Amino acid sequence: MNLDSVIGTFIAESQELLQQMEDALLQIEHAPDDAERINAIFRAAHTIKGSAGLFGFDSIVAFTHVAESVLDRVRAGDVRFNGDLIALMLNVGDHLAGLISQLASGHDLSDLPETTRATEAALTGELSHYLEPQPANTTPAAAPDTPTPVAGAGHWHLSLRFGVDTLRNGMDPLAFLRYLGTLGSILHVEPVLDHLPPLEALDPESCYLGLEVAFESQADQSAIEGAFEFVREEGSIRILPPQAPLSAFRELIAERAAEGTAQVERLVRCGSLAADAFEQAAQHNDSAHETATTRAADTPERAAKDNSRTSKDANLIRVDADKLDQLINLVGELIIAGANTRMLAQRSNLADMCESAETLSRLVEEVRDSALTLRMVQIGATFNRFQRVVRDVSREIGKDIVLQISGGDTELDKTVVEKIGDPLTHLVRNAMDHGIEPAEVRHSAGKPLQGVVRLNAYHEAGGIVIEVSDDGGGLNPQKILAKATQRGLVSEGQQFGDKDLLNLIFEPGFSTAEQISNLSGRGVGMDVVKRNITALRGTVELDSVLGQGTCVRIRLPLTLAIIDGLLIGVGQSSYVVPLDMVEECIELPSAEIAGQQHLDLRGEVLPFIRLRQLFDDQSQPPRRENVVVVRYAGIRAGLVVDQLLGEFQTVIKPLGKVFCQVPALSGFTILGSGAVALILDIPGLLTQVTQHANTRIAGQSNALRSTAQ
Amino acid sequence: MSSFNPATATDTRQQYLTFTLGEALFAVGTLNVREIIEYGHLTPVPLMPPSILGVINLRGGVVPILDLRQRFGQGATQVSRRSCIVILEVQRSGIDQVIGIVVEAVNAVLEIPEQDIEPPPSFGSQIPTDFLIGMGKLDTRLVVLLDIGRVLSLDDLQLLAGRELPESA
Repeated sequence: MNLDSVIGTFIAESQELLQQMEDALLQIEHAPDDAERINAIFRAAHTIKGSAGLFGFDSIVAFTHVAESVLDRVRAGDVRFNGDLIALMLNVGDHLAGLISQLASGHDLSDLPETTRATEAALTGELSHYLEPQPANTTPAAAPDTPTPVAGAGHWHLSLRFGVDTLRNGMDPLAFLRYLGTLGSILHVEPVLDHLPPLEALDPESCYLGLEVAFESQADQSAIEGAFEFVREEGSIRILPPQAPLSAFRELIAERAAEGTAQVERLVRCGSLAADAFEQAAQHNDSAHETATTRAADTPERAAKDNSRTSKDANLIRVDADKLDQLINLVGELIIAGANTRMLAQRSNLADMCESAETLSRLVEEVRDSALTLRMVQIGATFNRFQRVVRDVSREIGKDIVLQISGGDTELDKTVVEKIGDPLTHLVRNAMDHGIEPAEVRHSAGKPLQGVVRLNAYHEAGGIVIEVSDDGGGLNPQKILAKATQRGLVSEGQQFGDKDLLNLIFEPGFSTAEQISNLSGRGVGMDVVKRNITALRGTVELDSVLGQGTCVRIRLPLTLAIIDGLLIGVGQSSYVVPLDMVEECIELPSAEIAGQQHLDLRGEVLPFIRLRQLFDDQSQPPRRENVVVVRYAGIRAGLVVDQLLGEFQTVIKPLGKVFCQVPALSGFTILGSGAVALILDIPGLLTQVTQHANTRIAGQSNALRSTAQ
Repeated sequence: MSSFNPATATDTRQQYLTFTLGEALFAVGTLNVREIIEYGHLTPVPLMPPSILGVINLRGGVVPILDLRQRFGQGATQVSRRSCIVILEVQRSGIDQVIGIVVEAVNAVLEIPEQDIEPPPSFGSQIPTDFLIGMGKLDTRLVVLLDIGRVLSLDDLQLLAGRELPESA
């Protein structure tokens, strides 16, 4: 097996597990005895250790093993989670993440930087404190007072029968032996080939192997058992501790009764069972059959229970995002092809044909909808990352701050989720550093000492709203005005509403913090936030009540790949206006003749652009024209078009390099008929309206058209 | 010694797709040709220079279509029953660009040996010499070998598009 190809999976899986471990650790801070979380943390560490062992990353295995031993003691109730242990475990997670990213960048674990080694040593040292009362590497306390079959202290006997699917599941029996080698020394291995079928019935991908291993180790039972965690369910793994009573061997022989005396001989050859005990054990062979059957009866039930736990994880599959994009593109083509078929069917006048085509189209649209939801992910994972940020930052700046998360199940496009992380980090840090006041100020203001930062998300009007709020001091509009004037962002005497004043902090080069701290306040924050969000076709605004807190509200489209559009026609061409910018559609009053640039919309002046003129369409205008009233960023304008062709949802195709400088377009889309429609760039058009008189735009573009070439 | 040498044979004998535009015969390397489709279903894009005729939907992708004759500063290509769109794939500065060109008729795929290719004439050509690899000699006539990467140069196309922009006054 070529390991390089799966090493990526190992890295991705480990990173995910570390994230889960971190999440669980942060939650456990509030409920230190939550057994399920403790188990989750243990499992994460254990799985990482196990997979690392399969790949032979011995340093990860060795380090994780120590952490796992501590976690095991927590699980057993010997040690309790407290602040120090959680902090230590978080550091352990960070260190592991460091090791994994070292692997991810293609480095070898043998040439780690000196500091990493030092960290590892320090962490191992700290971890071992928790192991001291009963360290894993001392001999287990008082052996049971039972007849000793043979062999001295530390002599384990492992009887392993691997499941038939072991190899298919990516396990290698040899890897287990190799891993055992790290826990102690293997004294003797007896292969069990009894289950090997005749050659013609042999499936080379199945595993028929069993092993009897004599093993000398000082490790404790759970550590050795842990090595077989991944095969325990499928195969049959029996581990007999040193000085196990004879009855244990009898039981083992009973279980392996199908293998007859060969098994007993193997035990003897392993040195686990003395030759004189052989007879004794063999005598019990008959009664063993019964035990074996009763045992077999209760196993399926247990297996079913274990399966139900794993099946939830197995419901998730990792898919390359490119493959999804390809799928969505293909589905788009399918829709176009389907529309074409439907048109032909209608033309053919065959009722059955039409009906079948209709059914097909409907199904295809359903396929499209579900294909599109594949790209949607919950924002919860992104939110949860901030638990750690808030925890670390609040310690750093010495404020007691708690993060409250709601609306984590709100879904949005993966590409949006990926890009929203940085702006959110900025906002959360800002809220903690500047928003939440120091404890004494909070105390004198009669607020609870613990500050609260909230992350909330919800759907609203075809988009998603993300709120970052705090219950801190709020922003002082007058202070902002003073600062803005001082920085020359506004001129003296300019009039602002309070809300406009607050939003001044999104201007480049603005910072209200009097002291620049380590975290924020260098004045490069909020304008970057705003720019990032605008790049995602979103908007950001800020609300604040002095003394009560601040709320930053980010509005984002659900997806970057799809928009709801209003299809309009000008001449022979079709254009799409993003529906969220359309306010209303009216008929162009016949009184408004060419040359006029404004019309009266219920008593308000509405400037308009004639798309026919802007796009230099030479065809004859229809008798009646329509006006689409659009609004963006507080500017309202009308677009004069020939026809309104209705709403539809559309997949955005990027403009490509050839067209990226055309000011009025933001993308292409493909209509059901297979024709290409152009998506209008409303913000761009409106900027033109505010900058030039619309006749001048049209005039200029005409003039330029005649001079070009 | 035999004149047959497979290595040089493959090196020097590149295949070219020849097509007619106006009176002239042109050729592009077949390695750049993705496919040839029927002319039609063109969507014009406003505010673009006339040499960019519009875009088509090529199985879900939006592909710009160029009129070579207008690109060369000649008249518009006449569209007839035999008109085709040749979809070309060009890689320039690491970016794959797919662009279609309108041709009056597609002729044939030919192998033109290197010794039959002459450097572009320094004058007398109706086409900017930047766009040419050379002139290929066929039995009866000359064929213009286009450096399609240059012809479809994105920077130039953008410049063309940019010229249409209403400069902020």
